[in-house]
Amino acid sequence: MGFFRQAGVIAAKDLRAELRTKEAINSSLAFALVILLMFSFAFDPLADTTREISGGLLWIVFAFAGTLVLNRSFARELPNDCLDGLIAAPVSGAALFLGKACASFLLVLGVQLVSLPVFGVFYNVPWTRQFPELLLVLVLGTWGLTVVGTISSALTVNIRLRELMLPMLTYPILFPALLGAMQLTAGLVAGNPIGPDEYGWLKMMVGFDVIYTAVSLALVETILVG
Amino acid sequence: MREDVLYYIPLGGTAALAAVTALIASIGFLRTRNFRFDSLARAATETLLAFLAAGIVSGCFVIHSASGRWWTWDARLTAALVCWLLFATCLMLRQAVEEPSRRAAFAAVWTVFACLDVPLVVATAAWWKPGKALPIEWTWGRFGLLAAIAVVGGLFTVVRARQEEARRELDSRRRKAFES
Amino acid sequence: MSAVAVDGVWKFYGDYPALRDIRLEAAPGTCLALIGRNGAGKTTLLRIIAGFSRPGRGQVRIFGGEPRDTATRRQVGFLGHGISVYDELSAIENLTLYGRLYGLADPPGAARVWLERTGLARVANGLVREFSRGMRQRLAVARAFLHEPRVLLLDEPFTALDDKAIAVLSGLLREALAAGKTVVMSTHQLREALELASHVALLVRGQLAFHGASTPEMAADPGYVYARYGEG
Repeated sequence: MGFFRQAGVIAAKDLRAELRTKEAINSSLAFALVILLMFSFAFDPLADTTREISGGLLWIVFAFAGTLVLNRSFARELPNDCLDGLIAAPVSGAALFLGKACASFLLVLGVQLVSLPVFGVFYNVPWTRQFPELLLVLVLGTWGLTVVGTISSALTVNIRLRELMLPMLTYPILFPALLGAMQLTAGLVAGNPIGPDEYGWLKMMVGFDVIYTAVSLALVETILVG
Repeated sequence: MREDVLYYIPLGGTAALAAVTALIASIGFLRTRNFRFDSLARAATETLLAFLAAGIVSGCFVIHSASGRWWTWDARLTAALVCWLLFATCLMLRQAVEEPSRRAAFAAVWTVFACLDVPLVVATAAWWKPGKALPIEWTWGRFGLLAAIAVVGGLFTVVRARQEEARRELDSRRRKAFES
Repeated sequence: MSAVAVDGVWKFYGDYPALRDIRLEAAPGTCLALIGRNGAGKTTLLRIIAGFSRPGRGQVRIFGGEPRDTATRRQVGFLGHGISVYDELSAIENLTLYGRLYGLADPPGAARVWLERTGLARVANGLVREFSRGMRQRLAVARAFLHEPRVLLLDEPFTALDDKAIAVLSGLLREALAAGKTVVMSTHQLREALELASHVALLVRGQLAFHGASTPEMAADPGYVYARYGEG
């Protein structure tokens, strides 16, 4: 069976299991809404200064809520030693990783697309004005978050303090991608297109995604098998 | 004497050398599974954290003496702080894994990830907070200071690596004694 | 060519050798029982043979191939301590998933066949989380046999099985051996194992204390091997 078909089988399995239980999605969505609410208490949502930092606030929400989905990525294989079944199967670690990353990506993106209109209402920002470009930034930033989060999930699945270690490992690595996403999103949610002096951020996000996808695919077998 | 030459560059330069050492040692471990590489990688990571922390703290004092504030989000301090967090999590990961072979493999993988991120972090911080770095005139005295601090860092790394080797040997003997 | 060949395998945890210079073989069509006390290294060795971890030194070959090769893994069925099936999926969804991963031509068809053989056909569409313990164990057996592996690696397969599951598993193992397949199982249940095993390997503190054909004395008194070759 081809590499991408195997990854597809793994992704479909994860999505089916998650959509049936909705454990990660529900908690992630609820958490996203709670953080948005709390930010509204901390900062006056309608003040101009708050609108300036709204892009950054949005990605803080996405990063925290996304972690709840990413934590489940390999953790869902722990009950019944399902990870052993996958490692014993003729599936490369890279295909397993890619399948799980794709499933997590779709789930996290789904949570973000639900949170975005709520954010738009609370902060009264014209987020639909540059929606295609905003979607591009969401996709690039979320793929970076997903790749690093999924490899962290593989690393932390069998160690102590898993729920604490995953965000501790993920967020510092994500600094370049998150900062780029925040910089771009701030302008886009205010209704401004991406300017030529911001193309560097886009390139950096693409570079980050490519590098970390490649390195994760190369090293995941070492993490799973040793 | 300019503060950045006195503090940042020797301390940051030594930290950078330690990061390169950690990267090479981690790749060495992944290829050979020889635990000497793991000991060296751990020691180099600790050296990096110590010297980078010293650089950040000295940077805070420099900022304070210039502006009365203890922190500023300039490119150098921001990058240094993020890099410090990157490698601190490598040590945290070691604490969380019980089994020695897995611990070494995981730490090696995460060190590779962290080292790949360093240039991205530095570039990102520079774009975020662009500033004009003053040109440095390198003199023998300044080279000497950089070399001296790097030598101290190297010695620290070697001593810690040997301590790690000794600790592992002791661990193994304790296990064997327990078995018999 | 041996079905399973372990050649000079060492496994280190840090500097501590959990397995020391293990050399054994299982010929095609034989059943090798790996026995030993708790902590002897049975599970460690079995997991190295199955490709879950790599040896520190030495090598393992399954029909001449590396355990981690995709082609080799297609020929191996593994039944570990856990059942390796998903609670949120139904029995047929679980087996179809594994059928796809193992590259079977008709995964749903093969799934239905094995559900029938393990007495789970009537609960094919039930979620595994609603199954009894015995049903879950039989589903795990179905998963291990689904792709008609040439080599079966079983880690304490009879532990915590109910009578029905033991009967199903024993029957399937006898069939597999009669069909020329190879079985390697680690076990504490010497009596059940020695009924099936043609060969025995005794591990004592990570070393191979005995490896050879099982004898009538072993079948008559399972403690014989420990008394003769092990720690008593």
